[in-house]
Amino acid sequence: MGSLLLLWIAPIVWMVTTAVKPTPEIFARPPRWFPRTPTVHHAVVVVTSWPFLRWLLNSAIVAGATTCLSTLVSIPAAFGFARLRWRGRDALFLLFLSSMLIPLEVNVVPLYFLMNRLHLLNTYPAVFLPMVGMPIGIFLLRQFFLNIPGELDDAARVDGCGNVRILWHVILPLSRPALAALGIYMFTFAWNEFFWSMIALQSPRMFTLPIGLRALQGAYDIDYGILMAGSALASLPALVVFILLQRSIIRGIAMTAHR
Amino acid sequence: MRRPFALQRVAELAAFILPFAAFWVLFRLGPVLYGVFISLYRWDPLGEARFAGFGNYLRLVHDPRFWNALVNTLKFAALAIPLIVGLGLLLGLFIFGGRGSRAAKMMEAGFFLPYLLTVSIVGLVWRWIFDPDFGVVLLVLRQAGLHPPTFLNEPRWAIPVIALATAWWLAGYRMVLFRAALEDIPEELYEAARLDGAGGVRIFFAVTLPLLKPAILFALVLTTISGFIVFGQVLMMTAGGPGRASEVLALYLYRYGFEYLEMGQAAAVGVILFLIILGLTLLSFRWLGFEAQL
Repeated sequence: MGSLLLLWIAPIVWMVTTAVKPTPEIFARPPRWFPRTPTVHHAVVVVTSWPFLRWLLNSAIVAGATTCLSTLVSIPAAFGFARLRWRGRDALFLLFLSSMLIPLEVNVVPLYFLMNRLHLLNTYPAVFLPMVGMPIGIFLLRQFFLNIPGELDDAARVDGCGNVRILWHVILPLSRPALAALGIYMFTFAWNEFFWSMIALQSPRMFTLPIGLRALQGAYDIDYGILMAGSALASLPALVVFILLQRSIIRGIAMTAHR
Repeated sequence: MRRPFALQRVAELAAFILPFAAFWVLFRLGPVLYGVFISLYRWDPLGEARFAGFGNYLRLVHDPRFWNALVNTLKFAALAIPLIVGLGLLLGLFIFGGRGSRAAKMMEAGFFLPYLLTVSIVGLVWRWIFDPDFGVVLLVLRQAGLHPPTFLNEPRWAIPVIALATAWWLAGYRMVLFRAALEDIPEELYEAARLDGAGGVRIFFAVTLPLLKPAILFALVLTTISGFIVFGQVLMMTAGGPGRASEVLALYLYRYGFEYLEMGQAAAVGVILFLIILGLTLLSFRWLGFEAQL
């Protein structure tokens, strides 16, 4: 199993070592596992000839906005589904939930028409707005809210709290793990979104990282030193965050499937 | 007398639900219906639209390239879905077996890692590994005295290699799901089975597997969707080639919509993709006998 893990990680290691090899070493035969004369040349090309840092910023803005907005609208909705009693509640919830079967990808043409009409093409909102209403948010939070004992609400109600204050002062403080899980899920989802972003974003300065890497490939074809340097740089933020927050990320991801 | 009170309740409920519902209607449900509408028209790039009924669908039916893309998508799905779910399940069982140990935690983190990479990185890295001229896999196999195919340059091998890359990318997430689901199975059930004299294999099939059903269903639905909308890996690794040997439905949709500007036809492909996903999900619900627990 240990050797399977090594094999599993090998592509990532290969990406990094290729990125720091001078070009002749990249194409050496037999392949050279580690560089003899490491270089940052490729990384410098990526950062200086391309708006790479701007792409990083774009990605952060899109993923940040998606995460904030979707959490913001999912919290009250999940509360409405978990705690309030009203006719048609479960049917509506099921309807929302079933839209998990509508991936962004099948909607790119109508979304293109829609964003064109709203004059939003080539802007951040064009990319993040379609990701806000993802049902995973209400699904995950509702599940978590349901597991919080109702007696806590009752006690607060006796003290004269309304629903808004119950949500704010009772439910939310207890829901940090679920909020963290949702945040992690939404952020990675938006950070990695590819198909729709590629259609919605047209000018290179608006590209997110995944689309920027596609542009690099278009420009350098098989100049793998530069392509791997771009890939390594683009994966750096995710890798650093993962190393720092490993356990909570994995715990959060595990929660996204819990019923 | 009760009226203001009821009204207030309704207003409050609306304030809770509507923000989410608005986004959902505008950007999720709305586009599906809008997509059906678009697919019934022929769109001139200059903005003129002409009602075409099922014309776009008929054009798809008569387009061998569409059938090729459909077959390629099915091939990819048939390879990738079992590979991803199966690998995820095996890894999940393995990590669960070593639960509590440092090694298991480290391994879980390692196997999960690729999931955090964006699809273009996955595509670039695997394209490099399997490069027909300098790919390390080819060089190593040749060093070992074998005569490997040039993989991404061969129609027969392009889709399997992309499926392999996809499994590497996505299996880690399924592993975490399965590991978490395994932890939810009460220890007493295993003990009871053991007291009844059941061996490891029997316990697996009589206790573990049935209780994993909901997790398997979830992973299957999730992976089916990823399998049918596959796009980024293909674009980056082969761009649909060699020839059109790996052109999948999403790539076909992209090219017809945004390169040939046949928006109606592209929208029709989107509708068909949605129907395929819907049908397969209903099928797997049925197959695994899932009782929708809310």
